[in-house]
Amino acid sequence: MSAVIEKRPDTELAAIGGGGAPGLRSRLSNPWGKPRFLVATTWLYIAWALLPVLLAILFSFNAGRSRSVWQGFSTRWWWGDPVQSIFHDPDYTSALLQSLRLAALDMVIATPLGVLLALGLARWRGRGAGSANLLMLIPLVTPELVMAVSLLLVFTQITIVPFSLVHLGTTAQIVGQVTFSLSYVVVIVRSRLASIGKEYEEAARDLGATRWGALRLVLLPLLLPAILASMLIVFALSIDDFVVTQYMSGGYSTITIPMYLYANARGGATTPALNALATILVVATLIGIGAAYLLYSVLSRRTSTADPTALVELSLQA
Amino acid sequence: MAKAEARVWRWFALPGVFWLLLFVLVPTYAVLAVAMGRVDFLSQPVPAWSPIAWNTGYVSQAFSGALPGGEYWPAVRNTLVYVGASMLLCFAIGYPVAYYVARHAGRTKKLLLVLLVIPFWVSYLLRMLAWIGLLSPDGYVNQLLTSIGIAHPPDWLNGNAYSVILALCYGYIPYFILPVFAGLDRIDRSQIEAARDLGCTPFRAFWHVTLPLSRPSVLAGSALIVLPMFGDYYTNDLISASPRTNMLGNEINLFMQEGPEKYVGASLVLVLMAILMVGMAYYLYQTARDARRFA
Amino acid sequence: MTQVAGGEIEIRGLTKRFEEALAVDSIDVSIRAGEFFSLLGPSGCGKTTTLRMIAGFERPTSGQIVLDHVDVAQVPPHRRNVHTVFQSYALFPHKNVFDNIAFGLHRQRVAKAEVRQRVNEAIELVELGGLAKRRPNQLSGGQQQRVALARALVLRPAVLLLDEPLGALDAKIRKQLRLELKALQEEVGITFVFVTHDQEEALSMSDRVAVMNLGRIEQIGTPAEVYEDPATVFVADFLGVSNLMDAEAVGPAADHCFVRIGDFHLRAGCGQLDARGQVKIVARPERLELRPGDAGGENCLPGMVERTVYVGSTLQVLIRLPTGANLQASFVNNGGRHGYSQGTPVQVHIPAEALRVLHPGAAGSTAPEASAPEQELVGAG
Repeated sequence: MSAVIEKRPDTELAAIGGGGAPGLRSRLSNPWGKPRFLVATTWLYIAWALLPVLLAILFSFNAGRSRSVWQGFSTRWWWGDPVQSIFHDPDYTSALLQSLRLAALDMVIATPLGVLLALGLARWRGRGAGSANLLMLIPLVTPELVMAVSLLLVFTQITIVPFSLVHLGTTAQIVGQVTFSLSYVVVIVRSRLASIGKEYEEAARDLGATRWGALRLVLLPLLLPAILASMLIVFALSIDDFVVTQYMSGGYSTITIPMYLYANARGGATTPALNALATILVVATLIGIGAAYLLYSVLSRRTSTADPTALVELSLQA
Repeated sequence: MAKAEARVWRWFALPGVFWLLLFVLVPTYAVLAVAMGRVDFLSQPVPAWSPIAWNTGYVSQAFSGALPGGEYWPAVRNTLVYVGASMLLCFAIGYPVAYYVARHAGRTKKLLLVLLVIPFWVSYLLRMLAWIGLLSPDGYVNQLLTSIGIAHPPDWLNGNAYSVILALCYGYIPYFILPVFAGLDRIDRSQIEAARDLGCTPFRAFWHVTLPLSRPSVLAGSALIVLPMFGDYYTNDLISASPRTNMLGNEINLFMQEGPEKYVGASLVLVLMAILMVGMAYYLYQTARDARRFA
Repeated sequence: MTQVAGGEIEIRGLTKRFEEALAVDSIDVSIRAGEFFSLLGPSGCGKTTTLRMIAGFERPTSGQIVLDHVDVAQVPPHRRNVHTVFQSYALFPHKNVFDNIAFGLHRQRVAKAEVRQRVNEAIELVELGGLAKRRPNQLSGGQQQRVALARALVLRPAVLLLDEPLGALDAKIRKQLRLELKALQEEVGITFVFVTHDQEEALSMSDRVAVMNLGRIEQIGTPAEVYEDPATVFVADFLGVSNLMDAEAVGPAADHCFVRIGDFHLRAGCGQLDARGQVKIVARPERLELRPGDAGGENCLPGMVERTVYVGSTLQVLIRLPTGANLQASFVNNGGRHGYSQGTPVQVHIPAEALRVLHPGAAGSTAPEASAPEQELVGAG
């Protein structure tokens, strides 16, 4: 047996192994160590990203009128103040209602339309399939301003049906929102469709189902998580939407939460009730997304509910 | 049988396609028609629906105005500068974060992912609202600065280009981090181990393997944020509210919302699209090249 | 290619504990310079973890890895003179074959001319001539594997580590590559440490094999040793068909041991002959002899043919014993007809020197009871 094992000088070993002290160089070359700089950057970023939002939410509970200086805790802006709290002030409640109205209608129209479109695009063979697909992608790659401007022009400049039937206002807002929501529904449903594949329908038809039966009894139930998830995402997108909604608006009654926030964010006269309104927005959106994620992952049973990669996928597709 | 069956599916798409034709394609044409149209005696725009009647006057005016020296050049220049600067910022901050979460986070990865996704869904307006509160003259940022001895902290919310750039970065960075994270996450661990095995220090392994392989996703993330940034006007309105920092989107917005000169707005939209086309072309070219290399 | 002498590995008390489990439990291995050494075992036995510790991708919880008299357990992977062929090959998709192979040389700052010469040498060595400009996605599985080999060998390591390199390939290519790899190792002369779960691979290629299970080493020996003289029930069962049976050891004679199965007494001539009480006995299928049902004799068990399986080169006969156990006998196909149709009564003769006695729970084995040969109709051939 070999006798002497040559040991590297302790200092060098310590430097290499990163066992406890030395310089940045050894830290960097320690293959098993965690890069401290990256850890710090990441958590600093997270704080930077989230703290201002949390502060804004906190300020909605400010006892004073300021939105930038803390003056104590109070719920006056939420329900305490009989005149200026969000549930009493007609401006706020009107905005809240209009946002909810638009979101509901957007969901109800865009989702079925989008599911049909997804099915059609995914299985369309032949001429026109490529162009239809391209058409569907256009809203996803154009800045919202371009879309808003173009819709504004058609609704104000065109004097023939069907455009002349639509005046700026709630109807126009819905039309605009559905138009961009469609593409999101299609993307989400289509990707789920691709992972389901054709086998289940083929098996159903093999066992005697008609084409429509296979669709109704097999495909749609399998597609349900994606449909529900996209519906909730449409809700979230609609509630948060600003540009198109503003361009399509027609008067006081068509102001939504984002529009109200935009108009009043810089004013000196506004109170922390504005923050409360914004908080509602955030809570509604996060509930929507959380529900979408849960539904999607639980119903499709692909991942455990504790695995957020489905969440990332969902967000990326949107 | 299969063919007849395949043909049935296209009818499913019909309502959606019809909607898109009506509300995407026609409106796009409407922009062209208005931009290439005329003005009547009330100074209202008269769209020219037939290409024969097209008048390129306003469009060429808009394009020449967008060149250096023209009246829209400051807005275009601002746009290019702000978008470029915030893109770089997003990369400088976002890439290390995405890298850490994708490759080194271990046990905290799931938590970090949730935390990264949240800002993605928090309303853009609330995030700007938050910063208005922080950056206002009596807000916490100035309080902090005065407490460390800076007697006259800058006015953040009036025509301050740095604020706009920071706000753009703050607003869009979550949209950059997620695709880059996805790309970095996808890199096979054994590739990096192979690089280490063959003599790379951790840094060189990153430089020679991780970085090149993450390039497609960095490109995708960049495209994802640059596109909306070009049409952004509300960030500037909220954070700066001064014509000094106007972007191209602000110009378009001004013409569309306030004046009768909608044809100028429409022409500027065409200018915007032209700039975007250049970016899109570059993006498509790079993606195709990368697809061939990496397959 | 001239090789640096060396490549001797001493592993002492090597342990690796992950949060949930003990992956490697204080193993000791001595690998000689220039040897083709295999780590063989089922999934989860710790063989890959051990390999990764030798490579440097896992840090041992305790123990030593001594390479040519230097303890490298704490040395980062890029500083060890040890290189790895990964299971998925891990070829860099953004570089072509030449650049992949040259990668390590560039890290060592070798001069351009020498790089070109050595890379071309390596390409010739693995017979990939003419493919230098191709990209990995344009190569077949077997070709990619050769690139991975060349990329590691061009650096002239003292030891080459291979992590189940043949797993992703078709059966025929796998067999061919086994011979080529062995020939390559002999030509280059460096130590190969080869990880696999395929016992055929390990037996056919190795100078010595270490059979691992649950983080421990069950046995180290030449292929013949581990197959013919398994030290534990696990080793006997993992390598080939073992015809494992429960029995009671009732006492030694001079150089053998008597065991009782049901009403039958047999004489066992190898294994742990001083065992008493409940034991396991092992007999390889190719050592069994079948005699007609009425013939008797020493070391014979009566049974009935349950099924015969024709595998081409061999014939496998499944025999059911009155105790309920199944035995598998296998015969080389010599072209003649056989009389073992279903239902034929036979006598199974187990020559004493082919009957091995082993302690039942030896070395922490988890071999399932009565491993029915029905599930293992793969001959050792």
